[in-house]
Amino acid sequence: MQKMVSSIRHYVSVAACFARLAIQRQLEYPLFLFSWLLMIPIQYFSGIWMLKIIVDRFQPLNGWDFPELTFLYGLGLISHGIFVVFFINTWHIDNMVINGAFDRLLLRPMNVFFQLVASYVNFIGLIDCIPGIIIFIYGCQLAGFEWTAFNIVKLLLVLLGGVFIRAALFISLGTIAFWTKRNASMVSFALAMLERGTMYPLSIYPNVIQVLFTFLIPIGFISFYPAVEFLGKSSGGLQLPLSLALWTPAIGIVCFLLSQWVFRIGMKSYESAGS
Amino acid sequence: MEAVIEVNELVKEYMVAKKESGLRGALKSLLFPEKTKVKGVDGISFSIAPGEIVGYIGPNGAGKSTTIKMLTGILHPTSGSIKVCGISPQADRKAVVRKLGVVFGQRTQLYWDLRLGESFELLRRIYQIDKTTYEENLAVLSDVLKLNEFIDTPVRQLSLGQRMRGDLAAAMLHSPEVLFLDEPTIGLDADAKHAIRDFIKEMNRNRGVTVILTTHDLDDVEQLCSRLVVVNHGKVVEDGPIESLIHKLTPHRLLVVELQHPCDDLSHPAAEIIKRDGLKIWYQFEKQRMTAAELISDLSQKLPIQDLSVKEPDIEDAIREVYKTT
Repeated sequence: MQKMVSSIRHYVSVAACFARLAIQRQLEYPLFLFSWLLMIPIQYFSGIWMLKIIVDRFQPLNGWDFPELTFLYGLGLISHGIFVVFFINTWHIDNMVINGAFDRLLLRPMNVFFQLVASYVNFIGLIDCIPGIIIFIYGCQLAGFEWTAFNIVKLLLVLLGGVFIRAALFISLGTIAFWTKRNASMVSFALAMLERGTMYPLSIYPNVIQVLFTFLIPIGFISFYPAVEFLGKSSGGLQLPLSLALWTPAIGIVCFLLSQWVFRIGMKSYESAGS
Repeated sequence: MEAVIEVNELVKEYMVAKKESGLRGALKSLLFPEKTKVKGVDGISFSIAPGEIVGYIGPNGAGKSTTIKMLTGILHPTSGSIKVCGISPQADRKAVVRKLGVVFGQRTQLYWDLRLGESFELLRRIYQIDKTTYEENLAVLSDVLKLNEFIDTPVRQLSLGQRMRGDLAAAMLHSPEVLFLDEPTIGLDADAKHAIRDFIKEMNRNRGVTVILTTHDLDDVEQLCSRLVVVNHGKVVEDGPIESLIHKLTPHRLLVVELQHPCDDLSHPAAEIIKRDGLKIWYQFEKQRMTAAELISDLSQKLPIQDLSVKEPDIEDAIREVYKTT
């Protein structure tokens, strides 16, 4: 017990130091920071503007009107924002393998995955969260989301689960780099897939894709299924039992644990093959 | 005494894909990959006692880096056993790496964008070094490596020599028992090399740190290492003190004689003429068979000698001999 406490204290102290250094490193390049500050809001607000044009000009997307779409989009954006703050290094495993930075993690007496993730807290990612929060709150206003204590707890669990699902996806993809040494294209592909899968209601897609994004790569649980429940919509072709929103944290944790297992297998292969 | 590092019949195999030239070749190896098993390390055994400075040398691709990566727990061997401070790095990586300091000359573990001191602070927390030990160690290291001149400079602005000093300090902060140095003097000027060699000697003498050094700089080897392990094609080809290695591999000496005027009979029964250039003649002889004095006295009786010099083989000749024969 005492050993565990001191071990936790050790990891927290290192994580805090990593975070401080990461912030200092990012502040070394203020212009770079500023360019993100400009670009990211433009990207997301233009995204929501597109949704509005589509719905205004044509018709609600499969029964989803603009307020509901804003709610859905905002929910997805927030979990994306939190993800890029804490897990962005999972995008760079291939580089670390190639330039030897990964070897350095193996030379230090700490958990390798912890070092990988904690060594870069991307506080620039907070810029991703801000438009996400604005869009989400705007969507809540429009769609008449009720801020009850129960709903807030559910919402937090959904966000947590969403972050875990995203992290699991990128950890699994990043692990491929242990074999292929290159996976940058996989990362951008997964990002595009996530954007399409979380921005629009899953029910507009053909059944095959709905099944794929529900059971195989469960990104439907990041924003679509929780939004279905919060807004009292129909989930379309696939009817799932129980409270849809509460599936998200459960699936998030299962996926995350699975991705840890995949990561360990990848590391074993790295240890036996080298780079 | 108990060995710090004990390596037994270490083997590392990996698959190498055979690539053929051109687009046709690329397509062919994509569809029908031809993979061959290569033994990067092929049955290496040695043991290193506490306080030794061992030069681990060999030509490029001999298996040096792979061995170092296995000893430090980065890679797992295909077969064979490793014990570092009595522990197998494959069984308990964290316990072993706590006792190791590792410097790769080609890469840095320091944060590029931050002042040098920040990287040290991070390492202090990672290795859980208590404040007093940390400050003591840092003071000693600063003194030997003159870190004070640049501890507040961002690493990206350091010269290569300063950066290497920073990396050495980073590797020594947690008082490791064993220091692995992979080409620590690569690309450095004479002054910086000197400083780094002094540091290695100092750490070895005052703290009893065992050092394993890979390098292509034979001056490093000559000035630092009491023992050499020479590998080639994944096998240990020589292992022993430097003097005996030179002695064993290059039993020859050279006598260079310059004559006053040309002569006809230059030969000597125990020396071989290996080169002639005008009035200069190079005699090669075996030190066991004859002393230089004897040869000089024999030759001076029949030849008008203007000038002469004796050349001892050095470590470079010895190493060239090893690489040639294996």
